[in-house]
Amino acid sequence: MAKPVDQTPYDDLVVQARTQSAALAELYELYYERIYRFCVHRLYSTAAAEDITSGVFLTVAAAIRQFKGGTEQDFRAWIFTIAANQANAYIRKTSRRKRLMENVVAMRRAAQPQDGPWSAMDWPTLYTAILQLKPEHQTILTLRFFEKMDFDEIGRVMDIKPATIRVTLHRILRRLRDVLRDDLGCEERDEGA
Amino acid sequence: MKERDFERLVGGMEIDAEPNPAHKERLRQQMLATFETVGRSVGPALAPTPQKASLTAFPLMAKVAVAAAIVVAAIFGVQAMIRRGWGPPTLNQVRQATERMAWMHAVVTEHRDGTVRTEQHWNDFSSRKAYILASDRSVIVSEFGSGRRELLYSPQIRAVVISELPSKGLFGADSAYTLADAFAVFAAQNDVTVAQWSDRYEGQKVLMYELDRSDPGVTVVGRRVGQLRIRLMADPETRRLVGAHIEQRSSSGVMLSRQEWAMSYPQSGPMSIYDLGVPESARVIHHTSQTIGTPSQDPRPIPTPEDLGRSRLMPLEIALPKPQFVGTPKDMQTPNLERPRGGPRPPFLVPVGTTNLALGKPVSSSDPEPLIGTLEMITDGDKEATDGSVVELGPGVQHVTIDLQERCEIYAIVVWHYHLRPHVYLGMVVQVSNDPSFAGRVRTVFNNDVDNTTGQGKGSDLYYTETNEGKLIDTRGVQARYVRLYSNGHAAGDVNHYIEVEVYGRAVP
Repeated sequence: MAKPVDQTPYDDLVVQARTQSAALAELYELYYERIYRFCVHRLYSTAAAEDITSGVFLTVAAAIRQFKGGTEQDFRAWIFTIAANQANAYIRKTSRRKRLMENVVAMRRAAQPQDGPWSAMDWPTLYTAILQLKPEHQTILTLRFFEKMDFDEIGRVMDIKPATIRVTLHRILRRLRDVLRDDLGCEERDEGA
Repeated sequence: MKERDFERLVGGMEIDAEPNPAHKERLRQQMLATFETVGRSVGPALAPTPQKASLTAFPLMAKVAVAAAIVVAAIFGVQAMIRRGWGPPTLNQVRQATERMAWMHAVVTEHRDGTVRTEQHWNDFSSRKAYILASDRSVIVSEFGSGRRELLYSPQIRAVVISELPSKGLFGADSAYTLADAFAVFAAQNDVTVAQWSDRYEGQKVLMYELDRSDPGVTVVGRRVGQLRIRLMADPETRRLVGAHIEQRSSSGVMLSRQEWAMSYPQSGPMSIYDLGVPESARVIHHTSQTIGTPSQDPRPIPTPEDLGRSRLMPLEIALPKPQFVGTPKDMQTPNLERPRGGPRPPFLVPVGTTNLALGKPVSSSDPEPLIGTLEMITDGDKEATDGSVVELGPGVQHVTIDLQERCEIYAIVVWHYHLRPHVYLGMVVQVSNDPSFAGRVRTVFNNDVDNTTGQGKGSDLYYTETNEGKLIDTRGVQARYVRLYSNGHAAGDVNHYIEVEVYGRAVP
């Protein structure tokens, strides 16, 4: 049985945004920061994040008249789908990926040396490990832990069953643990995993 | 690393994700400009337009095609109307509609001699064969041609007896191999008027056809029937038979036998006596032109049964997931392993009204945080052996408990562990109780824990190989609210898996 759709005060705004620029501007206010943050978490670089955020909102502006959804939930799933696709397309280009990796490694060198515990791990170290995952898996991780989305919402963004997302996430975390342990020399503190 | 660990890790990180206000403002202007530009270029075409305008824009050919489709549909509708007739269907139309189907399946509950017997009947209309599986596992297959060839298997003698019989069907009706056939032929041969009316049966609107005949010339276990009443019930929409009642009384009005039939129309049915559980090792004895003798015992009259609703049975319909491997699984070198059946599970009868009570019910476990999946997936109705369906519990002895939320009569529990490969799960113990802690009265309905690794006592049930059919456990109507399933890993690993658990039963009346 399909889950009931949550009603939000912005549902009308989504419908109006198809024809009214004022409504679209309000949606922009609501979502700009979330999309930008998502892009930073996916791409590390603020410059890349700004590029992708621009791409996302320009796509929304061009396509919202044809957007079929009628609720804020639909809009959120749609805009995050666009953002995830554009971020994945960006990261798939080897040259960009290489550049990203170089930036991150440089940042890691500049940071304090890490000698183990998870709690002491910094963002560049973690991002280096995340970057070794498949782009789709990076998206799942970002939506779940940085955007705090539940499995249903991630499922809507990625068009995958929530239960599959849940299982995939389990595997992603296992893979991430292995990457951190093997490639970066971090010790795993969680004996139970 | 578990989810909550990663959450803590991310939560404690310092990530600079502050947006640049200048970028935000620039982008806002660009976005609104794009929106306006696209709006102008697309223009009013994207705005909602009245219905009339869109109809006008419809090409002429499309309009003609739609009109033609309407005319054709109307002609077919009228033809169908004429074919079906305007009034309620006649008995002959019901018979034709019924026999147009590939198969008919009937569960027949008979009250006779103070006992209740249940039989299952399958009619293969294309090859004019009838299969009967009785509650004592005896099987009769009748092939109707110029005469009637009957194959009778009796589990007592473990033999199949083949006989040629006169082509008499039910109530002596010639060449009648279905109930509707027999009804119509009997009515015609005996010049009986068939009463017909609309009625309601078990909440469903039905067309009722009744014949009532004194001294019909038939016997029940050697006793002459004084009064025969047959009621057939047909669905007014499909015109197919959905049920029947047959009452046979002595001349003094004492009920000798009462049958209730419930019909359904499956896509297929048994292809031979061996599909109904007859062992291939059974001896075959040929007879020709011999009738099968009937035990001559005096019938004892029985009173009319009052409440038949809870004793009528139906085959349990279990929707199976896709099979993940083909053929008979190899011997897993596990001692005490059940032999593969090598065919589909035989029909399992349950009382009418039995449903899967576990669907959507809460599940708890000795491992509240599964390694894969979540506990509610065990009762979510998804039985496929895919990544998104399986729940992996930690290693060693683990259990899951399903709360049915009320006391129920449980007739069967069906368990699917991970059936992607032919795994054998170890230490499987299934218990039911009314106590959520299982500290009070506990009934064990299945136990193959031969070494008592789960601490629930040694069991004598066999290990089995996982397939898409799941494991069906006959719980014989035990009454309980909670169902608990233990396992201790599988033959190839120490973790425990569940895909789905179904608990078939009814609320306690």
